[in-house]
Amino acid sequence: MKLTLYIWRQKNAADKGHMEKYQLNDVMEDMSFLEMLDVLNEDLILKGKEPVAFDHDCREGICGACSLTINGVPHGPEKATTTCQLHMRKFKDGDSIYIEPFRAKAFPVIKDLVVDRSAFDRIMQAGGFIGVSTGNAPDAHSVPVSKKNADLAMDAAACIGCGACVAACPNAAAMLFVAAKVSQFALLPQGQPERKKRVLSMVSQMQKEGFGACTNFYECEAVCPKQVSVRFIAKMNRDYLCSRVTEAVEV
Amino acid sequence: MTLDSKIPSGPIQDKWDKHKFEMKLINPANKRKYKVIVVGTGLAGASAAASLAELGYVVEAFTYNDSPRRAHSIAAQGGINAAKNYPNDGDSIWRLFYDTVKGGDFRSREANVYRLAQVSNNIIDQCVAQGVPFAREYGGLLDNRSFGGAQVSRTFYARGQTGQQLLLGAYSALSRAIGKKQVTMHIRKELKDLVIIDGRVRGIVTRDLVSGKIESYWADAVILATGGYGNVFFLSTNAQACNVTATYRAYKKGAFFANPCYTQIHPTCIPVSGEHQSKLTLMSESLRNDGRIWVPKNQGDKRKPNDIPENERDYYLERKYPSFGNLSPRDISSRSAKEVCDEGRGVGSTGYGVYLDFADAINRLGKHVIEERYGNLFEMYERITGEDPYMTPMRIYPASHYTMGGLWVDYNLMSTIPGLHVLGEANFSDHGANRLGASALMQGLADGYFVIPYTIGNYFGSNKFDKITIEHEEFKKAEAEVAEKTNTLLSINGKKTPTMFHRELGKIMWEYCGMARNEAGLKKALELVPALREEFWQNLTVTGEGNDLNVSLEKAGRVADFLEFAEVMLWDALERNESCGAHFREEHQYPDGEAKRDDEHFTHVAAWEFQGVGKKPIRNIEPLEFENVKLAVRSYK
Amino acid sequence: MILINYLKSTILSKFVMAVTGIILVLFIIGHCIGNMQLFIGRESFNSYAYFLQERIGELLWIMRIGLILSLIFHVVTSIRLKFLNLGAKPKKYEVKNYVKAKLTSRTMIWTGIMIFAFVTYHILQFTTGTIYPGDYNRTDYYTTNAMSVKKLGSDECCTKSREATAKDAIINYRGNQYETAGNHPIISERHDAYGMVIHGFRRPIVAILYIIGMILLGFHLNHAIQSAFQTLGYNNPKYFNKIVVGSTVLSTLIVLCFISLPITIIFGLVGGGV
Repeated sequence: MKLTLYIWRQKNAADKGHMEKYQLNDVMEDMSFLEMLDVLNEDLILKGKEPVAFDHDCREGICGACSLTINGVPHGPEKATTTCQLHMRKFKDGDSIYIEPFRAKAFPVIKDLVVDRSAFDRIMQAGGFIGVSTGNAPDAHSVPVSKKNADLAMDAAACIGCGACVAACPNAAAMLFVAAKVSQFALLPQGQPERKKRVLSMVSQMQKEGFGACTNFYECEAVCPKQVSVRFIAKMNRDYLCSRVTEAVEV
Repeated sequence: MTLDSKIPSGPIQDKWDKHKFEMKLINPANKRKYKVIVVGTGLAGASAAASLAELGYVVEAFTYNDSPRRAHSIAAQGGINAAKNYPNDGDSIWRLFYDTVKGGDFRSREANVYRLAQVSNNIIDQCVAQGVPFAREYGGLLDNRSFGGAQVSRTFYARGQTGQQLLLGAYSALSRAIGKKQVTMHIRKELKDLVIIDGRVRGIVTRDLVSGKIESYWADAVILATGGYGNVFFLSTNAQACNVTATYRAYKKGAFFANPCYTQIHPTCIPVSGEHQSKLTLMSESLRNDGRIWVPKNQGDKRKPNDIPENERDYYLERKYPSFGNLSPRDISSRSAKEVCDEGRGVGSTGYGVYLDFADAINRLGKHVIEERYGNLFEMYERITGEDPYMTPMRIYPASHYTMGGLWVDYNLMSTIPGLHVLGEANFSDHGANRLGASALMQGLADGYFVIPYTIGNYFGSNKFDKITIEHEEFKKAEAEVAEKTNTLLSINGKKTPTMFHRELGKIMWEYCGMARNEAGLKKALELVPALREEFWQNLTVTGEGNDLNVSLEKAGRVADFLEFAEVMLWDALERNESCGAHFREEHQYPDGEAKRDDEHFTHVAAWEFQGVGKKPIRNIEPLEFENVKLAVRSYK
Repeated sequence: MILINYLKSTILSKFVMAVTGIILVLFIIGHCIGNMQLFIGRESFNSYAYFLQERIGELLWIMRIGLILSLIFHVVTSIRLKFLNLGAKPKKYEVKNYVKAKLTSRTMIWTGIMIFAFVTYHILQFTTGTIYPGDYNRTDYYTTNAMSVKKLGSDECCTKSREATAKDAIINYRGNQYETAGNHPIISERHDAYGMVIHGFRRPIVAILYIIGMILLGFHLNHAIQSAFQTLGYNNPKYFNKIVVGSTVLSTLIVLCFISLPITIIFGLVGGGV
């Protein structure tokens, strides 16, 4: 099939950037979206031009490296699917496709479609862990966890840290990402000792990074490739409010 | 050169404990005087970086990804083994040890494998304490399943995302250490070379993938946890960026490369759909627990799978290996699939595929049970192929998945370069000629959490270290070499892209050094690869600049190393004139097609020593001794 | 300090939005029920208005101050969040599509501002009488039935008392005993809220503005009510769908009730006698 692509090109962080138009003539429907871009890039290199830079790695929907806002929707039109797992059979011959980087103040563009998502790492460093050093662990069966909570924790832990939630949110809020991690630990007995401190530290770091506020659009949940539910945001809100009231430390 | 594996003496059960006692310790206050560089932040790298930082060492960690959490360990689906024996089905450390040695077709080092089995239980404890949400039963305790050829249920899992959850656990420990400023994390920086001073590794040279800056970092020890080289086949289940550069650079600096021909082919991947294909997607092997593998009995049967009657189907694994059936080890399953496809009985548009059928399981257990077990895998399959596996059988085909070979390391996980330690898939140590399912995660974490924290202290305690800086001439020399190579790649101005060369290399390797190998083919490949390499340096084109984020330049550098490395792999495959585990030489097989080992001549590790590009490397030998497991013909019938 | 400090935290800000929002919604529901008295008639409506204005004393001002504070916090917080959010996404997409975010949720700040403008206008018209003083300064004469009573054992003649009913021959009142002496109507004056509303809504411009204002309010509440539950942490798959549906039902009901007044009035179905 034939496609017209409009792709955001930006030389580096300092460059203003612009949309550029490309024409692709032989796109097969079994191709993945990124394979389609590979084809474009091979073509560009052979023409002596610079290929389009985009983040990607595992190409099986789990590493969270791929991004791209496709026709205004992060990870494109297919539900619960990362860009690398999106296949061209979801598009029609003659379609125009707009490809832009994930947009947020906290995700500055590095080049073309590549953005810097290290803000997520810094949020994790602020408290996204259970503080147990290697070798200190008791036997795995010493603390039973109800299946219900273990499953729910897994639902939250499924987050791949791709940042689509931020990209989709008109406010560039990172609540779904932070809530997923906070909730995973809050649901497990192992996470209780640091529970209050964790939510306060992570939320505080989230704000320092310049993410916006949640206005309950639920757009994050809709584009999340792992279908992490906004109920975790509600859970985190409650955790945060309780912790603000009871925890003496001002974070 | 004699290879000293430094295996402690004594009964196998006591070796590790004895060794732990005998190793030198570093006083807690002195640990901060030692600096360790960890390259790679997958399971092995992240767990090592975090654990060493917790002990008090100064750690600098490197990844070429934008975050440690992206490492390809994340893609492991099935699970992680441990000898907990929670299900009360007769498992033990000894049995896990035995199964792993046997699974590796008697080409692994007993002592290492035993230690792996010993610490496997600690890994589960550690991960649970970190908040890894393993699957649980209603009583609140951990659930286990049988996996990939094991006759006991010893695999712990977190849905189909066990690798992800374990990596996120290690990543959270690493994040904690970074937050406490115990680890300095370097993202988007790729190792380009190692620096050896006075015979010991003392640092690395990296390229910043965003600014293009070439930088040096010094340390007292370097840990490579940079994964495997499966992408030498171009198409594999590895991530796009996975490459051999770090281990190959170490090899060029004097580390020996052991058993590079041991590459595992995974039997359950989604078949190739066309030339554009950039990677192969693995479907967890756990699918084989409930799926039945078959092809039509007749050649060229183009009917839809559901139209082929039961008596015209060949459930070839169940037929050939009645006791293991669809759960036969990976190499056997893979080769059997290749055989039936070569007979012209393959399915799908390319003819390279076999059916994995869930109809029986759905009838027996109900759709909801299958959905609960494999729901996400089925969805993934449907997303990629556009076919619904609840209604029509999946099509699967083997693909390169894991590489058992890697840098040679001794019992302390140190390579032949003093101070250079190698962990996880990057080393060769534990899986022999074939890795069992759910053992890769176990090995990566064992190395990182429970082995290296002890052995590295021994290295520091046994040696004196001069203070060095990155102003040292060896650093300057290495930087200059890296810069020069980068400029060369940019200035060839030929007509083929790095990917085109990679694809061609992959085809050669898959054809002549893939699932089955023979002398003529390997010799032919040994002519084709150098020719391709020559063409590469004359006809490559890389656009863009060196001081910028440049994806084609990154790729070119990696392909350049694959083109040299491929030759080592071919030499190893050629000279290992036997079949064992995943290394199948067509000349050596039993009449029924089983791999035929030559224990008399090949019960050893082949560790290759670099002699110059294009020159045949020297094959050093580490003999393997089996004192606890009797050498036997592996039989899965 | 805490009055400003909470703005530093987006989650606390949202908490303030939710709590003040709930107070305002409760007021709106009360207001709405009150308005429905108009359909019963002038007497009922005016006595309700009279009750609110004259009979509850300081409580009226406590409520008014509470509402004004809620409104101020609601508005200030929302504006502060809006600026924060605009800053968090400085570069917009060339093409943007939404999957789940509804028009109502994306336009909260705009419906909010318009509702605020409308409420200001609404207060100037109906509460302070600034806009149409003629409508406002109407008087309603009304009679109440009262008993004439005579102090027991005295000749002092009749006082009118609403406390007395004919049922009792003798009543106790302020420590004294009285005997009843027959029915007496009392004519009093009060503000004619009923007439004010009827005359107000007979002006098409007023009616149209009001209807628009109420529809905007409906939009706002449709998102706001369920959103408050989410913000306060009440989102469980078991019941959250019901909250979302309930939010729509309640906001629709409120809009329908409110706009039923101008519609019935402008078509002459109500208030014909005024």
